[in-house]
Amino acid sequence: MSMNRKELGEFSSIVCFKAVVTGAEEALGEKAAAITLISAGRNRGKHLAEQLGLKNGMPLADIVPALQKALGKDGTRLCIVDKLEQTDESIKVYCQETICSAGEPQGSPRKLTFTLGAIQGVLELVTGKRLRGKQIESVLRGSSHDVIEFETIG
Amino acid sequence: MSINVAKLEGILQNLVSGTPDVQGAALVSPDGLPLASTLPSGMDEERVSAMSAAMLSLGERIGNELSRGEIDRLYVEGDKGYGILTSCGEEAVLLVLASKAAKQGLLMLEIKRVTEDIKKALG
Repeated sequence: MSMNRKELGEFSSIVCFKAVVTGAEEALGEKAAAITLISAGRNRGKHLAEQLGLKNGMPLADIVPALQKALGKDGTRLCIVDKLEQTDESIKVYCQETICSAGEPQGSPRKLTFTLGAIQGVLELVTGKRLRGKQIESVLRGSSHDVIEFETIG
Repeated sequence: MSINVAKLEGILQNLVSGTPDVQGAALVSPDGLPLASTLPSGMDEERVSAMSAAMLSLGERIGNELSRGEIDRLYVEGDKGYGILTSCGEEAVLLVLASKAAKQGLLMLEIKRVTEDIKKALG
């Protein structure tokens, strides 16, 4: 049986999450910390996709509502997934209010790590392919969304 | 450009089957994603990949912070064998697992040769 918090409930502050991220960066370096957080996110994404019953081969458009419900306001509040665009070469995911960008000043060079990994994990399970994700736009650098582009490896 | 995974798998297969006491090898992207691998059964490719990239990155940080210069290899020695991590340029990290019986000189020569092959294959 898992331990429930009677008074505090399911949620914790973004401040604590950010402290974990910056603490890991301090100890391990930015790159090693990012690898670790992306890897943790991918695991979370794969488990989430399984929990949501998302299947390999289903249309990508169908997963957006499921992600919105699971990760958005009525879910774990990791981020809001607004839309997803698929081309022959890549998949672009448009997110808002990501936990990775939250609390950062405008102009901050911070990139998505855990959020990127979580969405990557979901997409890898649904597409059945290995993907490499790269953040191509940021709300911290003038964009309306945090945009991640995923390309297939191999 | 798409990576030729089959070619990379072939290079790793040749390394593992053609070098005495080499037990496995994996090639991972610098952000910790698996590219190709020939690992002993029971090893989780995804975990090995994230761990390898994080470790090489941490090694680079140690090299920098402790003024050890540029790191091109990390070496882990246990009572059952070796784990050697080598940078293959900006595109990949090579992990080679060898038993305690492996001849280190031969192992290093093979890793050097394979690293060049991998760099060529990655273009």
